[in-house]
Amino acid sequence: MRRFLGMATAMVLLASNAQAEFPERNIENIYPWGPGATMAASQVIADAMGQELGVNISVVSTPGAAGTKAFQTALEKPADGYTIFDGYVAPLVLQPMFGNADWTYEDFKPLWSATSNSFAIVVRKDDDRFPDFPALVKYMTENPGDLRYSPGVTDALPHMVAAKVMQTSDVVAQVVPYPEIDNAIKDLRGSVLDFMVINPGVYASNKDDVRVLAVLSEFEGASGTYGGAPRVQDFGIELGMKGLAPMGWNWWLVRKETPDDVVATLQDAMGKALARDDIHQKLLDMGYVPLGYSPDQYKEIIAPVASDLKSGIDAIAWEKEKLQGTK
Amino acid sequence: MFDLLREGLPLFFNFQALLLTALGIVGGLVIGVLPGLGPLMGIVLLLPLAFHLPPIAAMGMLIAIYVGGSAGGSVSSILLRIPGTPLAAATLFDGYPMAQQGRAQDAVGLALTSSALGGLIAGLMLVFFSPLLAQFALRFAPPEYFAMAVLGVLTIALVSEGSALKGLLAGGLGLFLSMIGTDEFTNAYRFTFGDFRLSSGPHLVAVVVGLFALSEIFSQLEAGNYLAKPTVQRLRISFRALRLVMTHKFNLLRSSMIGTFFGAVPGAGGDVSAFISYAAAKRFARADEKYGEGAEGGVVATEAANNGCCGGALIPTLSLGIPGDASTAVLMGALILFGFFPGPDLFRDSPDVAGGIFIAYIMANIMLLVLGIILAPIFGSVLKLRKAWLLPAVLLLSTLGTYSLQNSIFDLWVMLTFGVVGYVLRRAGYPLAPLIIGMILGGIMEANLRRSLLISRDGLGIFFERPICATILAIDLFLLLSIIYSTVRSSRKGAGENEKEDPQIT
Repeated sequence: MRRFLGMATAMVLLASNAQAEFPERNIENIYPWGPGATMAASQVIADAMGQELGVNISVVSTPGAAGTKAFQTALEKPADGYTIFDGYVAPLVLQPMFGNADWTYEDFKPLWSATSNSFAIVVRKDDDRFPDFPALVKYMTENPGDLRYSPGVTDALPHMVAAKVMQTSDVVAQVVPYPEIDNAIKDLRGSVLDFMVINPGVYASNKDDVRVLAVLSEFEGASGTYGGAPRVQDFGIELGMKGLAPMGWNWWLVRKETPDDVVATLQDAMGKALARDDIHQKLLDMGYVPLGYSPDQYKEIIAPVASDLKSGIDAIAWEKEKLQGTK
Repeated sequence: MFDLLREGLPLFFNFQALLLTALGIVGGLVIGVLPGLGPLMGIVLLLPLAFHLPPIAAMGMLIAIYVGGSAGGSVSSILLRIPGTPLAAATLFDGYPMAQQGRAQDAVGLALTSSALGGLIAGLMLVFFSPLLAQFALRFAPPEYFAMAVLGVLTIALVSEGSALKGLLAGGLGLFLSMIGTDEFTNAYRFTFGDFRLSSGPHLVAVVVGLFALSEIFSQLEAGNYLAKPTVQRLRISFRALRLVMTHKFNLLRSSMIGTFFGAVPGAGGDVSAFISYAAAKRFARADEKYGEGAEGGVVATEAANNGCCGGALIPTLSLGIPGDASTAVLMGALILFGFFPGPDLFRDSPDVAGGIFIAYIMANIMLLVLGIILAPIFGSVLKLRKAWLLPAVLLLSTLGTYSLQNSIFDLWVMLTFGVVGYVLRRAGYPLAPLIIGMILGGIMEANLRRSLLISRDGLGIFFERPICATILAIDLFLLLSIIYSTVRSSRKGAGENEKEDPQIT
């Protein structure tokens, strides 16, 4: 009798497990940077997606090792759909290219792409040495290594794009890394730095005190994010990086082993969340442009980005060498 | 500025906002008391709820958690010798001895009252001097941060007087710990032994909980007497703490200003303000005040400073759009999600919201004052528990708090390791607080030294040409010389005396 009861209980438990619908509990989005405006953009999507799924999606800031710590942390969790990778380009594509991580973008199943944000070169509003971008380039040509700039952290995307622009113009400035970009903008405003590469979130909080010299994107819409400022191409300078390659973007992902039905549920919820007009507008207001790429377009979009970024890595190496020569 | 407050009044003074602020204070105090969980964790936990509320009510609740969480850490410091947050590590110097002398309620009351008054003084500075302080903060660049970090490290010798050498050795261990992780200049891994979990170093909170809480549990286990009934001061609601704190008004004012200043300078490491104001209070203390043995002034100094820091950190966050610390970075993120961008725009375009946030901060501190007085006896009653009940509860809470930092088992191993390290250091008479100061300041000191040298392209002139930096470095030099002088003088008095250490200062 006891044996029968045990078997019956086990069968009931198994049956209830099989019937249990995903998700049964809260989901975590592992975000690779420190808190701030960019994390707020992920939070907007997480909240809307959570409403679709009927559970809470919390955005967990796990900064460290240029974003790879977040990926490592998420990889340690079970492939059950309860952990989402906030797949920023740095940990997803760039760090593996530097040899700092052993995964590729093909090791994940994609949900939808989230947002993109273009970068821009800014100076202090009252800095009359540089009325426009050509004036900045001219100054750097005449005084190699004399100016100081920060792209936030080094070896990441904004640094690559800045190095690429300087390589194309054959000029160089001293790069100063700041893990927290807010501290860099403080030092720009305090006249310690001469120029900076910033993202839309930082621009929105500091637009009264900085002047945009050039937007680093080939998309025309990117100018709108920075108050209609000219793009670097408008000065006849080719970025040498196309499409998403010179921009910050994130694609939400799960582990490759996650069951297909769970992935489909997540994809559906994220697609619906991103299609909402209020969410779309909220992200745009914050300076983050929803990308709208579906899970099917993942490989087609990411593969060329990876090859374009190689030229950015070369530009950083070029910058290092050139800076040594100016000492 | 009064215009701002007038515009903000209708937004804040409604039932929902007031209730949520009061609940935020209680929630913050509880989160602060639990070892491992701090104000940052509290804000992050309640963020999803906040988005479903009106902006000012939500910001009131989050700011109240920030204020309550920063104050709550002192309670467990005082009662159990376990700082609930790294902010409260300096409070146990005098708070714990006070509790041991049977004055638990006085100590808790004093800590919460000083926190509230320190926060209120910072609130006044926030309202009236925000633009001025924000402009001053802009003049703080890497060379100034380096000089300030050196000042912080030198305070180790002051807070561990009696065993300055052991204090400096423990501080050195802390400096070493700060080197573990990814080098932010080259992205190279240092002392990680190929383990990604060390890629941003051991978590500070896991180290603090291990070092203080676990080592205390080990010591208590060793001491035995598990079923003995502790003697505790009679606990009841009283305004005695308010009277007590008023006998330290200059200390309160000075410490609040130090806290506000450290908070207002982004990235200066607000945790250290408590140590620095403690060191200052000790230097200026009357001869009959025995710091490290239960001096009321010690509790006032550390708590007024660390809550002053909260108001201070809001200054650059709101005025410049540059967060003062990690908690205000999350608060800023929340404000952005509500569609308000901090910075000069906020004051120009939404003065009602800016004013509402100011009022929310001030009201949060007033509520902390009232609730602190009401709740002090309840917190104090924890000490009535016998060890057999208390120790397992502390172990459970420490483990839960540390695990929830990053949902990481590795953090628990870090906690356990530092529990053993803390126990061994205590047995050998080494103070523990310097290790934390070293760990917090090591990263700030190194990064800003290297950043300064990059900016000056290897020229040392950058440290002397900037007036603020040169002044702080001159103070560093003076302090260093006075420490060397007093150490040499005391060693001449007799080698035996020099070895004596103060068991309370750990």
